[in-house]
Amino acid sequence: MTRSVTINPPKMCQPMGAILAYMGVHGCVPLVHGSQGCSTYPRYNIARHFRESAEVAVSSLSEDAAVFGGAQNLTEAIKNIKSRLSPEAIGICTTCMSETIGDDVKLISKKALQDESTKIFPASTPSYVGTHLTGYDNALRTLVETLAVNGEPNNKINIITGVINPGDIRELKNMLRLMNVQSIFLSDISETLDSPILPGGHKPLLPEGGTKLVDIADSANSLGTIAICRTAGSAAVYLKNKFNVPAILDPAPIGVANTDMFVQNICLLSGKPIPREIEIERGRLIDSMVDVHHYMFGRKVAIFGDPDIVSAMVRFFAEAGMKPTVAMTATKHKDFAPDIKAVNSEYKTDTQILEGTDLYEFHEVVKTHGAELIVGNSKGKDIADDENIPLVRVGFPVYDRVGVYRYPIIGYNGSIYLLDLMTNAILGHKYDPNKLHQ
Amino acid sequence: MTTILPQCDIPIPQRQPHIVCHEPGNMILPMCNVQTVPGDMTERGCTFAGCRGVVGGPVKDVIQLVHGPIGCAYYTWGTRRNLSDMKLHRKYCFSTDLTEESVIYGGAKKLYNSIIESHDLFPEAKAVFVYSTCVVGLIGDDTEAVCKQAQEKIGIPVVPFHCEGFRGVSQSLGHHIANRTLFEKVVGTCEPDKTTPYDMCIIGEFNIDGDAWIVKPLFERMGARVLSVFTGNASYSDLPPMHRTKLNIVQCQRSSTYIAKMIQDKYNIPYINVSLFGMSQTAQALRDVGKFFHLEENTEKVIAEELAKYQPNIDHYRKRLEGKKCFIYQGAPRAWHWIEPMRELGIETVLTATTFGHKDDYEKIMARAQPGHICIDNPNALEIEEYLVKLKPDFFIGGLKEKYLTYKLGIPFINGHSYEEGPYAGFEGFVNFAKDIDVAVNSPVWKFINQPLEVS
Repeated sequence: MTRSVTINPPKMCQPMGAILAYMGVHGCVPLVHGSQGCSTYPRYNIARHFRESAEVAVSSLSEDAAVFGGAQNLTEAIKNIKSRLSPEAIGICTTCMSETIGDDVKLISKKALQDESTKIFPASTPSYVGTHLTGYDNALRTLVETLAVNGEPNNKINIITGVINPGDIRELKNMLRLMNVQSIFLSDISETLDSPILPGGHKPLLPEGGTKLVDIADSANSLGTIAICRTAGSAAVYLKNKFNVPAILDPAPIGVANTDMFVQNICLLSGKPIPREIEIERGRLIDSMVDVHHYMFGRKVAIFGDPDIVSAMVRFFAEAGMKPTVAMTATKHKDFAPDIKAVNSEYKTDTQILEGTDLYEFHEVVKTHGAELIVGNSKGKDIADDENIPLVRVGFPVYDRVGVYRYPIIGYNGSIYLLDLMTNAILGHKYDPNKLHQ
Repeated sequence: MTTILPQCDIPIPQRQPHIVCHEPGNMILPMCNVQTVPGDMTERGCTFAGCRGVVGGPVKDVIQLVHGPIGCAYYTWGTRRNLSDMKLHRKYCFSTDLTEESVIYGGAKKLYNSIIESHDLFPEAKAVFVYSTCVVGLIGDDTEAVCKQAQEKIGIPVVPFHCEGFRGVSQSLGHHIANRTLFEKVVGTCEPDKTTPYDMCIIGEFNIDGDAWIVKPLFERMGARVLSVFTGNASYSDLPPMHRTKLNIVQCQRSSTYIAKMIQDKYNIPYINVSLFGMSQTAQALRDVGKFFHLEENTEKVIAEELAKYQPNIDHYRKRLEGKKCFIYQGAPRAWHWIEPMRELGIETVLTATTFGHKDDYEKIMARAQPGHICIDNPNALEIEEYLVKLKPDFFIGGLKEKYLTYKLGIPFINGHSYEEGPYAGFEGFVNFAKDIDVAVNSPVWKFINQPLEVS
């Protein structure tokens, strides 16, 4: 992209991702050290995607802080959260403001709370560096750096999920359960951001679920770490370098090959065999691909989103006989282009690679290379409308449809669901109903 | 003493003056418009939000360019439901997407290039609005100079708003900055094609879910001519001739009284405060305007037509809602705008709260509240939860951030910021509002909330 102006960016800033990482930690209050908008805007986005309350504290920096620094606000914020909520942890994310004025968050927070009963995670997440995925990665690494300690081998596998949905995490857990493997999720929003209504009330602050601090500490003693999101892999690298925990960084387990790789990696690390149930789930995915191949063969699909999800979907769609025409991500990652190129050479596809760009450019390339279907988040709606093609909503945020966060697109089962969604979108949009009778 | 310290605030007693119980005869107002207690889980936003999101954002045919890192632009892209009839408006998000390099060396060049490129790609835009974010204020980009230079190059107005998020105590300063900037740089820069003795502007009406499309025709049917709506569904070209209006009416009296006052002071044009929600308040607003323009007869005709059409629906909903109690928590004015309309449905508001109210907002609340009414300034999540549990309202009118907490407590909820299925303004809109309350309160889903699963 040669433009200076960014038009329609499918990316958010670091505090957004950091807040999501902290929300997957049991008993952790996210605290944004910055202006009030820096907490309110991410909260709004989380609430409208997950349809859950997302409580985040903010140090409410103002003009005074611009002149004198934000130490006083941050200290007061930490003390107030501690005295009112007694959380197990406070996850701090910095902002443009606090980073530009140069607050030493590590030092300030250490001085503010000498009491060890509440852990502090001081992540550095200025908005002018990277994207929401960078923030997720920084917060996650801060969690592990702060807590991980050597201990007895635990026979567990660490899973770094990246920014995926509660439905995806539940599907991963389902697979691990079938494989009889114990795990530590870094981190786990499957309950905190998809909570039930149960008799006896609800705790919006410090909700049930999330990965416990003791488990994050224990991540140093696992059999290995699998990051299904390479943009969030720095915690895995840290655990490898510091505690010799083997690290495997791969694209998301979507489709046949990528899910196979995930299963194989679990077996490799755990020494467990592949159970029959997993073979059956895989068989159902293949059955579903066979069932719809007449409808989907050669279909032009344009995809945008976070890099590891997009590259995994491109491979899956090629496996199912489609023609991915455009693969776009706003977050740059070194593995993105090689992933797509490998699919292009293996499946003789010609997927255009757009990296670090915006949806304005994506739309231009969709116009020149064609698409019968767009797969991406709600921000793809106007492009799909302009091109008169369906948008299959995946990723974050999806705010104009309900329930997307509940269902997986990951694993064999998630892949089946994703393929069915896409096929039904094509059937609903393209087909004469008379032609759908078999 | 009528201030209250809720249980959750015992560790932060500085919250006490912000929470009052209304006692007529011993009236005190909540402490307001001051810095938030850091870390108290406030619902407040920033000055950028008030400027870009609320006042500047609804202008439909300008490039809304956010000068800063990506987040601030992304989060204000098509979020607030300030509708318009132009695609350029909510479909596009423009950002200079500042990165570390710009923070070190300055973002002026990137801003200049971004303005020129946006204009080249969208020549249909009538102006460029440039909003500064926190980091721009800190690194000291001279956005005034850049905008001036760019304006000379592209030949359409380029308007800089100095709305860095850290300024002020809430969104409220952002409203003021947007008003002042538009008044100083836009209003009066050109004359209207024609004027009539019946020219008026509707100020502080942002066309949330189509509100302006309901209220504007009411005044037109009376015989007035609506010169501009500030700023719901407004074209840029609607703003310069505002100084030639004969009357301004102000709906959102927190975010937009500023410009009505500035126009009054400089051009001697009067303004009147109105409330375009509910049957009697809307009728009163129409009568006030009708009286000013000596259009009383027309006004009564319009009111009679509207009441004939919509009052039966309101009567229907009143039967279903009579005796209910509610909470209203809004930015500021809608907390008091809606107290009387709720009474038209037989509903009493037992608690109001505002995010960024000033003294005059709280005076208006207290003038309408019954004894025992609780009023909270800048409430935080814990206080909201404590009062929902303690007072158990039949429903709560709040914003999206409070919605799902309220649902989890088994309490019906209406999104008063963007609405559920609006518009809510005017006579017709009030029927939508009543219907949404009826849907919320009378849905069968609530009976399952505390129903345990047991073996019988």
